[in-house]
Amino acid sequence: MTELMKGGEPFFFSGGETGILLVHGFTGTPFEMRWMGEQLAAQGYTVVGIRLFGHATVQEDMIRARYQDWVANVEDGFAMLQKTCSRFYIGGLSMGGVLSLYSAAELPWNGVFSMSAPIESPDARLAAFRPILPLVSKVWRFSAKGNPDWADPSRDEDHLEYPTHPVRAGVELVLLLAKMRKNLLKIQIPVLILHSKSDRVVPYRHAERIMHRLATQDKRLVLLEKSGHAIPRDVDREQALNEISAFLKHSSPGASA
Amino acid sequence: MTMILPGGEPFFLKGGSTGCLLVHGFTASPQEMSWMGEYLNKRGCTVLGIRLTGHATQLKDLARARWQDWQHSVEDGYHMLSSRCQNVIPIGISLGGALSLKFAAIHDVPAVVCMSTPYELQVPPVWLLKAISTIMPVKKKGATNWSAPDAGEARVDYRGYPLRAIAETALMVDSLHPDLRRITCPVLLMHSRADDFVPPENMDRLYAAIGSDFKEKKLFDRSNHILTCDIDREDVFQTAAEFLEKYRLLP
Repeated sequence: MTELMKGGEPFFFSGGETGILLVHGFTGTPFEMRWMGEQLAAQGYTVVGIRLFGHATVQEDMIRARYQDWVANVEDGFAMLQKTCSRFYIGGLSMGGVLSLYSAAELPWNGVFSMSAPIESPDARLAAFRPILPLVSKVWRFSAKGNPDWADPSRDEDHLEYPTHPVRAGVELVLLLAKMRKNLLKIQIPVLILHSKSDRVVPYRHAERIMHRLATQDKRLVLLEKSGHAIPRDVDREQALNEISAFLKHSSPGASA
Repeated sequence: MTMILPGGEPFFLKGGSTGCLLVHGFTASPQEMSWMGEYLNKRGCTVLGIRLTGHATQLKDLARARWQDWQHSVEDGYHMLSSRCQNVIPIGISLGGALSLKFAAIHDVPAVVCMSTPYELQVPPVWLLKAISTIMPVKKKGATNWSAPDAGEARVDYRGYPLRAIAETALMVDSLHPDLRRITCPVLLMHSRADDFVPPENMDRLYAAIGSDFKEKKLFDRSNHILTCDIDREDVFQTAAEFLEKYRLLP
């Protein structure tokens, strides 16, 4: 297969001086960030939605992915915005939020937002067995996903993601989370954390722990009521978008999109 | 510290409705396409110089790559550019040229430009490369012979070739053969007589196999393999621009 999943392609919308990089989640695709990207572009922002290595192709590709590939993809996205924009924001869903928070202490972003980001693996076994998982994953390659937690189940019909969790890639997520936790203590830029109280994949306690660990004083936690884990696709996405728009305006006073 | 080697990041330059998708070569980085990108941007094009998976980070990352990953990187760049440009033209060097041709065989593009592109690699069989790669993962690179003294100054590349990735490059180039006759858009091929890495006969074999009725080839005399950086580069850039102009693709 040399083509990407139809609908799961990355995107780059032209706009003004403020650039936003959107990062999708573990086993997901740029599709889950596209609606938000379109809305932000309509507000005048330049928007890049990257594809993380191993995603939106076939799930076997994810077995070869290392978290360094994903961090490099975020750097790719930043580099693409660098010469056309003067202010830079990054945000993402779930592992995309983890990558955003990690990157917030590495690259000159002006602000960062996350949706449904975990502070550690929600499956404690993953961290506990991490040392032996690279070996185990040669035999146990894919682990079944739990039931989706949509508030609006009709969203599941056109959702694009891999049907299972590649076990080897789960190891990389655990390693990335450790890097992110270190960087939370260093972040000095404005941060917006969004999480839903109804998230059954990553409980919202994770968001409270991220808030507690963040070094910056300019941080805000917004808890949504009904949405499932995939905030930018589920029922509260308008509210999430409004919070993000307000955050972008608040953290760049005087600047236009 | 960043994962991507400083200077090896992808680049995007805003311009008109023609988007040039610049694809670098094996073990190299977007840097080798940056001068060409700046030139095409001055001529009015929007330019995206992509980074192929496994490149411009660490050598061991490239050993994990499969050739389909590189094709996916080209797809990524295409979709990003086509969100903003009417026409997207793949332009590549060496492995990047082969990837550009493959892309042109699968997708409807208005033109394609290839430089120093192999039709066939002079390497041991893939099964042997894979076997050797388990005991000798990396083949060291010799010094590059540049014809222009400043050509290699800003160069960002790996200092060796992962054997496993050489096997992938060979597989990629072989996979191209049945695709070539399916290419119907205008094609420009450029190569140097003095290319000591991919001999210029490769261009003639590509030219013969490409299905398009609108194909051109041009030989240069003095440059080595990296046409985009070496001594004939201004000529190369101009030839590419004239080719695009001829098909009314320059804004």
